[in-house]
Amino acid sequence: MEGGTAHQSGIHVALAAERIGSFFGIPLTNTLVTTWLIVGVIVILTLVLSNRISLIPGRFQTLLEMLFEFVYNYVVETLGSREMANKFFPLLTTIFIFVLCLNWFEFLPGVESILYHGEPLFRGVNTDLTTPLVLAFVSFFVIEITGIATIGVYKYGSKFLVNPFKSPIGAMIGVIELIGEFVRLVSLSFRLFGNILAGSVIIAVATYFAPYGGPGILSLFEVFIGFLQAAVFALLTLFFIKLAIEEPHGAEVH
Amino acid sequence: MNQLFAAFGLDVKLLLIQALNFAILLAVLWRFLYTPVLKMIDERRAKVAEGVQKAEAADRRLADANEEGKGLVASASKDAEGIVASARNRAEEQASEISKRAQERADQLLADAQARAEEAKRQALASGEKEIARAAMLAAEKILKGSSH
Repeated sequence: MEGGTAHQSGIHVALAAERIGSFFGIPLTNTLVTTWLIVGVIVILTLVLSNRISLIPGRFQTLLEMLFEFVYNYVVETLGSREMANKFFPLLTTIFIFVLCLNWFEFLPGVESILYHGEPLFRGVNTDLTTPLVLAFVSFFVIEITGIATIGVYKYGSKFLVNPFKSPIGAMIGVIELIGEFVRLVSLSFRLFGNILAGSVIIAVATYFAPYGGPGILSLFEVFIGFLQAAVFALLTLFFIKLAIEEPHGAEVH
Repeated sequence: MNQLFAAFGLDVKLLLIQALNFAILLAVLWRFLYTPVLKMIDERRAKVAEGVQKAEAADRRLADANEEGKGLVASASKDAEGIVASARNRAEEQASEISKRAQERADQLLADAQARAEEAKRQALASGEKEIARAAMLAAEKILKGSSH
């Protein structure tokens, strides 16, 4: 009973983002405001940094270059060529940076307690399905288009559409693979959304039951989860691209 | 389906705006961060490679110069030995010639001196004989004068 009342008064879990207004028919949600703020900050930081890049690097530039080289080399290794890496490194890194910043934003002390007309003005962007779903769609389209553009419509299609009279099992596997491609939309988006929402719910619960210490320790863990999910999203996109540009397995058998 | 979307707060407009946000971020990062940073890395790598090549070239040239220097020193010391040897030879030749000439001159001087001494002795003897003869004549004259008294 007490838990029930606590649920009503203390812990409030909303799947949908709170609407704080509308602008020319566009619903303004607190996650959208947060996204604008974060994108704005990243853009400004990037423009400031961009002017400071020099041949003789400072400490920060050295660190940035080390990280970039590490990621770039990993992408080259995975995709097998610098040409492919040049195409996909920006997308993958942007997914990582974007998701990481969105995930970490809510751990800035106090941001979630700023109220606007009774609703929080900022909210962890990935605790709302919208952005994870957008990223999943971006990832999905990039993967499919890359697959078709790299190995051709016919070969790419032959991964999924196999003549059932030639190979019934192959046809079944093809159908399952095709479903698998679309399931990625759900799995990618819900993995990110679910992890981050669960994190914020757990912190909210801990804040209620163990307000001293509990949320801090859990926040540290959630910071790690935030990093992990950002990396997982970017890495899965990378691996799916890798799978999409590979020649179909049946080709050498027949 | 619509209910499901509503439960998650999904809205086509919001999805499009978030896609636009991501596109803006991607474009800005691509143009102003990835391209310049990767270019800078490549540029620096090229510079380092150039530097290493230059250092290698410099090493090679240094080695060449060392080799050449050693050759020069070797030939110079050979030349020097030759020069010293020939100088010594000439010095010895000259020394022997000088001593020969000195010997000759000494011999000649000695011969001259002997000749002159002979001459002097001869003259002395000749003049001695005359003197004696005159003395004898005077003595004889005196004796003869004395006996005539």
